[in-house]
Amino acid sequence: MSETLSETAPELSATVMDLPRRDARDKLRGRTRYTVDRVRPDMLHAVLLRSNVPAGRIVKLDVEAARNAPGVRAIATGHDAPGLYGIGIADHPLLAIDTVRYHGEPIIAIAAETEAEARAALALVELEIEPLAPVLTMAEALAKNARLVHEGWRDYEVLTEGGAREGNIAWEARTTRGDVDAAFARPDVKIVETTIRVGRQSHAPFEPRTAIGSWENGRAHIETSTQVPWTVRNVTGRVLQLPPGRVRVTVPPVGGGFGLKFDATIEPITALLARMTGRTVVIENTRQEEMATCLCRENAEILIRSAVTADGEIAGREAVVLMDCGAYGGEQIFLSTMTAHTLGGNYRVGAMRLVSRAVYTNTPPNGAFRACNGVYNTFALERHTDEICQALGFDPLAFRKKNVLGDGDLGATGQVFEGDVLGPMLERMDGLRAVTGTAEDKADGRLYGRATTVGTWFVFVGPSAATINMNADGSATLVTSGVEIGSGTMMQSLPQIVAGQLGLTPDQVVVREADTDSAGLDVGVGGGRTTVSIGAASIGAADEVRNKLFGFASELLQTRPEELELVGGRVAIKGRPGSGIAISTVVQHAQTVSGPITGTGSFTGKPVPSMSGCAFGHMIEALEIPVFVVHEAEVAVDPDTGHVEVLAYRVVQDVGRALNRRAIMGQIQGGVVQGLGYALHEAVTISVDGRIREDGFETYRLPLAGDVVPVVADLYEGAPSSGPLGTKGAGEVPILGVAAAIGCAVANATGKQVRELPLTPPRVLGLLKGRETAPEFPHIAASFEANTLA
Amino acid sequence: MTVTFQLNGDRCRFHDDPMTPLLDVLRQEKFLTGAKAVCREGFCGACTVHVDGEPVMSCLKPVGLVSGCSVTTIEGLSSGDQTLHPLQAAFEAADVVQCGMCFPGMVMSLSAFVRDNPEATRPEIKTAMSGNICRCTGYERIIDAVADHLEAQKSGRQAKETAHV
Repeated sequence: MSETLSETAPELSATVMDLPRRDARDKLRGRTRYTVDRVRPDMLHAVLLRSNVPAGRIVKLDVEAARNAPGVRAIATGHDAPGLYGIGIADHPLLAIDTVRYHGEPIIAIAAETEAEARAALALVELEIEPLAPVLTMAEALAKNARLVHEGWRDYEVLTEGGAREGNIAWEARTTRGDVDAAFARPDVKIVETTIRVGRQSHAPFEPRTAIGSWENGRAHIETSTQVPWTVRNVTGRVLQLPPGRVRVTVPPVGGGFGLKFDATIEPITALLARMTGRTVVIENTRQEEMATCLCRENAEILIRSAVTADGEIAGREAVVLMDCGAYGGEQIFLSTMTAHTLGGNYRVGAMRLVSRAVYTNTPPNGAFRACNGVYNTFALERHTDEICQALGFDPLAFRKKNVLGDGDLGATGQVFEGDVLGPMLERMDGLRAVTGTAEDKADGRLYGRATTVGTWFVFVGPSAATINMNADGSATLVTSGVEIGSGTMMQSLPQIVAGQLGLTPDQVVVREADTDSAGLDVGVGGGRTTVSIGAASIGAADEVRNKLFGFASELLQTRPEELELVGGRVAIKGRPGSGIAISTVVQHAQTVSGPITGTGSFTGKPVPSMSGCAFGHMIEALEIPVFVVHEAEVAVDPDTGHVEVLAYRVVQDVGRALNRRAIMGQIQGGVVQGLGYALHEAVTISVDGRIREDGFETYRLPLAGDVVPVVADLYEGAPSSGPLGTKGAGEVPILGVAAAIGCAVANATGKQVRELPLTPPRVLGLLKGRETAPEFPHIAASFEANTLA
Repeated sequence: MTVTFQLNGDRCRFHDDPMTPLLDVLRQEKFLTGAKAVCREGFCGACTVHVDGEPVMSCLKPVGLVSGCSVTTIEGLSSGDQTLHPLQAAFEAADVVQCGMCFPGMVMSLSAFVRDNPEATRPEIKTAMSGNICRCTGYERIIDAVADHLEAQKSGRQAKETAHV
């Protein structure tokens, strides 16, 4: 570690800074043009006819009257885009064909001169759906003889091999390490079982999903508010049955994503209508549509069982995690892999087996949400840990210090953890608490509780590409498919990294907005991967640029390349800042001699191997970079109303290397508050007709200024990371441990077992009055093996 | 029907349904897209503008009701290459912006608040922000920046008063 540091120390000192955001001024002046601000009067407006039943067969669809309505230019149905898309399994049509599977599913799209004309035409469509009995819950979906949400599930194209699936089980991922049966059969263990149920969380990004499609020179061009330009490109190609290369996706600044925009949704429809009309077409979700069809953090049901000795050794653990994917598999199919790394994280466990099943229901499809799968699995694991401590009489903090993952310990898939990280982080939390003090005095007669919890996340690195073009003025243009969604990666960490590598100031680094025609493949902005993956690709590109600069400068200066460095905008003799020659001069020289100086870099993570035979149905072998958090919450519970007030919140976060401390602090404050919403009051419920009830800001209770506290955070640096300059993603994980810390603190305050979220006043009152019982899951079998398809 | 009002200092005429939300007139007719249509129900505050100097949610304001009024949008608060409003400058310096969608509204409502409440306490700032939802930042750093701004104004005033003595 120290060797690496000394090698990169000059770059690090030039890279680490509290660089403010370059986009802040325009955003503050209202000048930034998000996709939603780019609607022009000459565009057609498209609106969607959506299903008003959760399940049924389309028996009549007559659009003739609508087609002849004033202003209407095109009507698209499912037959115009017959290709199916999905992650893992291609099960999702762009527009419903014959069958509807959720309330709100788009059936046809109408493009007209104005939105009002399009809506008027919508009312003229004759649509008859013969309703089917909907499968609304995972219990119903897994019941014997349950109606299949996808009757033709066997016929779908499998995009990723390896997952077990059957009927309403869209995908099953499983891990087994060691002899769990033997661990549970040991005479010296006590078995503790916890059941957990959590609801959905709606992202509510301020910019709704919006796309502007046009058809240019025989190709689609989609300008859209997305985190995944390459996914939009590929999905559009699939559903329109075009080579994906005939789709171009560009991304203006994105007004919040949080994972909602990690999949394609309405974008291909704009391309389809643009092809049909030759006009530019915009679709902007209304707030109601945005929330009613939100690809929420999924509701989940978890059973976790552990065998623990009187000494506090976790001999065995098994868990069943049911994840509701809604009507289509989508992201949940991939996320089922994550259970091994989230529920299977945190602690050293003798033998462990986990199964996570993505289950089809006739509800709006779920998707990815910041620290997806991890937030509720961490809540489940940490509540379970506290229940273990209660059952066996351990101090929860001492138990954690004894059992957290350390150097050489094995994860659920058998992958080996490097370095002691969580243990020292727990010590750092003790130190932080000693500095801040506790807030028990603020409880003021209410029930006071405090809890310290841990969490494990993994950055899925995946492929990224970067190009750097050196300009004659000595500046550099960085071209990637990265998207600025608000987290600051494109505004702060990437210009800092490139500037540090090339001896420039960050304002000399121009960062190109994502355009799939100008930059190479990228998985997208999510999971905490951008700084790591695009950062590494950018460093690769900078290496090539540097070598070329050194080559030319070495001739001009009559000095060997090894004696040169890039500092202060110059190619300087090492250790003599101000010496040598300006980078701009070298670039200009190169342009006349052999052409412009450019560099390219590409990157993908090297998988950490799992133990052979441990992991089944996993979309990726193992996840590359572990990230740990320690969260501590103090709460006061009003025994009369059930209201939970957060008194204080502390975080110790493993960041690898902090490139911009102030920006990371901003991510932590924001991520923790999103987690507080999830833990305390953001509730998404499904009505009897399969609708998301909370489809506006009146009914979906987002955190307000009065709800929050300043989060005190300590950034833990130096943990092993294969990320560039030792970095790890810092924006994803601040939400990871919040439900766990709040849930455990409320349990400590009330003396009751907290097993469901959110902890709204009625639920907490129910806990206090003994009306809340542990969730029971008749659809989860008592024996682990009976819960797997294997 | 024609509605006439002042928009960022210029006369503006709107010839259509006076029940049209002011927000739609701004965004769709005048291409002033700084005010954001986020919830369109008055909960989020992202569409806040000033009507005769007072913060108003433009999604709930029929344009007919601003007849004869003076409307200032975020674009009019510091136009062209004018210096930023001190609150905008404070937000920029403190690096509090993330996705940025809520900030035009946040600036419009808080600029009126700090003008009218130069002595505001931190809890009062929090209360004043309850009508502006932010999904990214978790608020506290914005509140810090507002408090720092008020503190700076106060010490600026005090310095001036001392100078006069």
